[in-house]
Amino acid sequence: MAAGPRATVLVVEDEPEIRRFLGAALGVEGYRVVESATGRRGFLDAGTHKPDLAIVDLALPDIDGVEVIRRIRAWSPMPIIVVSARIQERSKIEALDAGADDYVTKPFAVGELLARVRAALRHAVRPASGAAILRFGTAVVDLEQRRARRAGQDVHLTPIEFRLLATLGKHLGMVVTHRQLLTQVWGPTHAADTHYLRIYMKQLRDKLERDPIRPMHLITETGVGYRLIADD
Amino acid sequence: MDVRSRLVGYAWAIGAVAGATLAGLAMRPRFDVVNVAMVFLLAVVVVALRHARGPAIATAILSVAAFDYLFVPPRGTFTVDDVQYLLTFAIMLAVAMIISRLVESVRRQAAQQAALEIDAETERIRSALLASISHDLRTPLAVMAGASSSLAESGERLDAAERRALATSVFRQARELSEHVAKVLQMTRLETGAIRLDRDWAALGEIVASVLARLAERLAHHRVIVELPDDLPLVRVDATLVEQALGNLLENGARHTPPDTVLRVRAAGRSTDVLVTVEDYSGGLDDADFARLFAKFHHGAVEGAGGGVGLGLAICRAIVRLHGGQAWADRVPGGGTAFHFTLPLETAPAMPQEAPAD
Repeated sequence: MAAGPRATVLVVEDEPEIRRFLGAALGVEGYRVVESATGRRGFLDAGTHKPDLAIVDLALPDIDGVEVIRRIRAWSPMPIIVVSARIQERSKIEALDAGADDYVTKPFAVGELLARVRAALRHAVRPASGAAILRFGTAVVDLEQRRARRAGQDVHLTPIEFRLLATLGKHLGMVVTHRQLLTQVWGPTHAADTHYLRIYMKQLRDKLERDPIRPMHLITETGVGYRLIADD
Repeated sequence: MDVRSRLVGYAWAIGAVAGATLAGLAMRPRFDVVNVAMVFLLAVVVVALRHARGPAIATAILSVAAFDYLFVPPRGTFTVDDVQYLLTFAIMLAVAMIISRLVESVRRQAAQQAALEIDAETERIRSALLASISHDLRTPLAVMAGASSSLAESGERLDAAERRALATSVFRQARELSEHVAKVLQMTRLETGAIRLDRDWAALGEIVASVLARLAERLAHHRVIVELPDDLPLVRVDATLVEQALGNLLENGARHTPPDTVLRVRAAGRSTDVLVTVEDYSGGLDDADFARLFAKFHHGAVEGAGGGVGLGLAICRAIVRLHGGQAWADRVPGGGTAFHFTLPLETAPAMPQEAPAD
């Protein structure tokens, strides 16, 4: 496993039945699981157990899940995955902008959550700058040399396109919100210029995806942001 | 009441009195003054019926003045010789008051009636939703209860393949159920106006792509053809909702047509909007089914049995209309259904400028 022989996962979730199946599924995968039933408890457990990753439900009985994330983020860079109900679109984005790394929407298949957990743990052990070379599908992008190839052919990418790929690559496999992408690629004054992303993501897909209409790697998370999925 | 309709009312008052005066002048040589009074009374009644109390009283007063000045001896003055004409004036005023009060109360009752009808309509939709919930929830719940209790009570006596099949069916049904509950909630929120649009610039290409990814399993047995022009303009919409609207149309298409048929998603930029079309080539629907399907789409009607389907179309329609677009359906020549919706175009945003690379 990426984060040591036995990574510890903190589960902050008030529903005991959901804690039960999460505990079982994570246990089978070899993770050590710490369960907290409230937000305050979760925040304390994060301090005492020093988990490698936290899964936080957004709807907690005592304090808001977003607040739990803020408090954990204040002292720890541990990956945080948010579990949200479908109607909590806005708080999901709020949680991501507050420092959560990814999310799953209830109801979810366990496989989906485990994939997010693996991606987040991998991210945690990688240098913060991200990989210098991104490989996905038939595309190979060298971020340092600023060279891109698709199916063995050189592809021309603009500096902004490289920067966008680098930002997505830094969070490989994880969602990056519109605000985060716009701020990091174009600067804080463009934090609301979502149309920039629409244009540039289309250009990137046209240049790098095999079928831009059915992208396999440059994935849209509708209403939230984008995700770059590379080959494992 | 707004200023405009009040002005129209007073204009009517003046017009009616002028008309009555002309008629009265024409009648004077041959008719008794009492009959001329009747003509003025008619003017009062007409205005009182059509307009508010103000114009009605104005008509009565103007009528009294005109009647007195032109017809009651001595003519050409406002003095009254015979006291009985005072009674005529009083009656004219009373008629104006009584009729306008009557009309007002009738109008109020009509408004109340209309409100009641809206309530009844809301109530009808609500009970249709409830019927749809109970119908569409019962089957998956029965499957889940049955399959999971088999697993819990005799799991060790089942072989691995059987256990997996049972567990998978619990999962599938649960997901189905969750989709349905989400739709019911969504419809309720759309009905009650509880949804605020979170508009932002969106690319229809991306919306189509995420619908196809989300519904990959459901669309696996159909051939989905996507035709989007390269220069399709961006739309300022709530992408999450438009994704649902489009997804519901595709789900509907997949459900109503045989496997291995084509579903076609098309979009085209027009002068003031973008037209999105989802076509299927079923040919299998008879006219009655067709009419029912259309009714669901055109009127947002929700039916009890199989409500999941009607619900999806009704939601699609409500989402499109919330965006200021239109939704309609028609038949595809040769058998098939085309569902269309439009999304209004807004002025294109300023595009990012980038110096040529390197």
